[in-house]
Amino acid sequence: MKQLLNQKPIILLISALLLGALFILPLIVTSPSLMQIIILIVLYAYFTSTWNFVGGFAGVLPLGHSAFIGIGAYTSTVLFQTFGISPWFGMIVGGLLASLVGVIIGLPTLKLRGAYFALATIAVGEGMRVLFENVKQVGPFKINGPSGISLPLMESSFWTFQFGSKATYYYIILIMLLVVLLLTYFMMNSKVGYYLAAGGEEPEAAEALGIKVSRYKLIAMAISCFLAALGGTFYAQLMLYFYPKSIMGLDLSFEIAFIALIGGRGTILGPVLGALLLRPVSELTRIYLGASLPGLHLVIFGLILIVVMRYYPKGLVEPIKKLIDRFIHKPARGKADDPSNPSARQE
Amino acid sequence: MALLEVKNVTKRFSGLIAVNDVSMSVEEGQIVGVIGPNGAGKTTLFNCIAGALPPSSGSILFDGQEVAGKKPYQICQAGVTRTFQVVKPFATKTVLYNTVVGAFATTQHLHEAETKAIEVLKFLDLYNKRDVVSQSLTLPERKKLELARALATEPKLLLLDEVMAGLRPQEVTEMLPIIRKINETGVTIVIVEHIMQAIMNLSEKIYVISFGKKIAEGDPHDVVSDEEVIKAYLGDEYVATQH
Repeated sequence: MKQLLNQKPIILLISALLLGALFILPLIVTSPSLMQIIILIVLYAYFTSTWNFVGGFAGVLPLGHSAFIGIGAYTSTVLFQTFGISPWFGMIVGGLLASLVGVIIGLPTLKLRGAYFALATIAVGEGMRVLFENVKQVGPFKINGPSGISLPLMESSFWTFQFGSKATYYYIILIMLLVVLLLTYFMMNSKVGYYLAAGGEEPEAAEALGIKVSRYKLIAMAISCFLAALGGTFYAQLMLYFYPKSIMGLDLSFEIAFIALIGGRGTILGPVLGALLLRPVSELTRIYLGASLPGLHLVIFGLILIVVMRYYPKGLVEPIKKLIDRFIHKPARGKADDPSNPSARQE
Repeated sequence: MALLEVKNVTKRFSGLIAVNDVSMSVEEGQIVGVIGPNGAGKTTLFNCIAGALPPSSGSILFDGQEVAGKKPYQICQAGVTRTFQVVKPFATKTVLYNTVVGAFATTQHLHEAETKAIEVLKFLDLYNKRDVVSQSLTLPERKKLELARALATEPKLLLLDEVMAGLRPQEVTEMLPIIRKINETGVTIVIVEHIMQAIMNLSEKIYVISFGKKIAEGDPHDVVSDEEVIKAYLGDEYVATQH
């Protein structure tokens, strides 16, 4: 925390203003459909930030993360439908379940490197979707195969996690995002973060320095899957209807990975930046071209990705950081400081 | 009791015997050299001690504790840290970050790890490079970073795998006092090397390995005049001219 507040006053001020603006946003935006788009931007920033724990820091590229989002959505929903358990509790159960599944999948796959891990996660994610599409009922829980689940409409209350006003959903996901970003920050500045980064870059050297690389990757996987599943519950409560393809499909997994790569994986703000840029593209193509050219948004993402990777292989966070540095840091900067390290390190 | 006791270690790779029944012992505070021609099995032996390869047979005692077949991270946690012949820095991270990773071996807190890392970097004269991304370092600096990271784990025994390889003669001369300085702080060192000048200067005791077998051990000056050693390095015909 100390380090977090140790930034330059101007940065603190700007952050505070931005935060304030985010919190009063629903007072300005009155259109529910615009609000929905904004909520989805924040939700996708959230999804990508949870993905970041594994994809950004552990040196692998997961391409099946929607499986865990789906587990979250299904768990809280069937618990609510069958036993009337509040989605808030269901959310935690879903999170723990996703964590467990993530660790079981991670045990064999996290040892794989590069493309092999990516392929394995695609296989697992797709397998899970097909499984959910082919099962109508598990014990007492109805999941309805490919047609999915509609949540019964309840009166607006905290307990049922259903709200009449979009603003409430907005505040919930905004707070969830801020918590995850804070967690990311703390992880990056902790032993776990250092060990993950080390194991991701040079596993052999990391092991020689006393790091059990597989253990730290599993920790990251568990955290990431838990948080992703919480987002899944939120999605279910926001949409009140979902089916395997909408929430466990490759589309969602790929979109998350695209957002991370374009925004900047392994950084705190990369996922936010990526979502801010890509979600509107995705919404606009869906609104105007959804009928004639469905899936066009992924093609556009692909093109953006190629351009971004060509010029900013670390994502768009890189040039933006440089820009901010030029305007804020430079005048106040000492001569001895190395410009290649823009973090405000204190000694 | 010796700090490191290697007893009859053999390493086979399906048919090929890379290390054949080698024993060695290292006392606390010593610098011990392992030399031998290229392909003699030095690095394999070294990998067995560091845990990168499990020995096929034999025992390795560190501080009285059996470590043969343990994983590299367990061996590091026991107090043995190695460096790599082909340096492996965390390339996109700064020098300080790299060293902090090592320093986390003894603490849970970033602040303490950073303090330790800075101390090590100052000791190795890398402090002014602390914010440089490690992939833009020169080779001698990378070799030093390898040392810094290893030292930050506070090892009792440091295994150096050809830290001089690839360095220019001038740079080798600069590296020697650094290794001696590390030893003076109480760290025992086993150094694998085929640059004779380096190892003769540093070691109190030398083991010579050729074709996987130990062919000589002892005081550096006795060892270099040993017939077997000359044969291994220069070939049979040179033995006669020595006498």
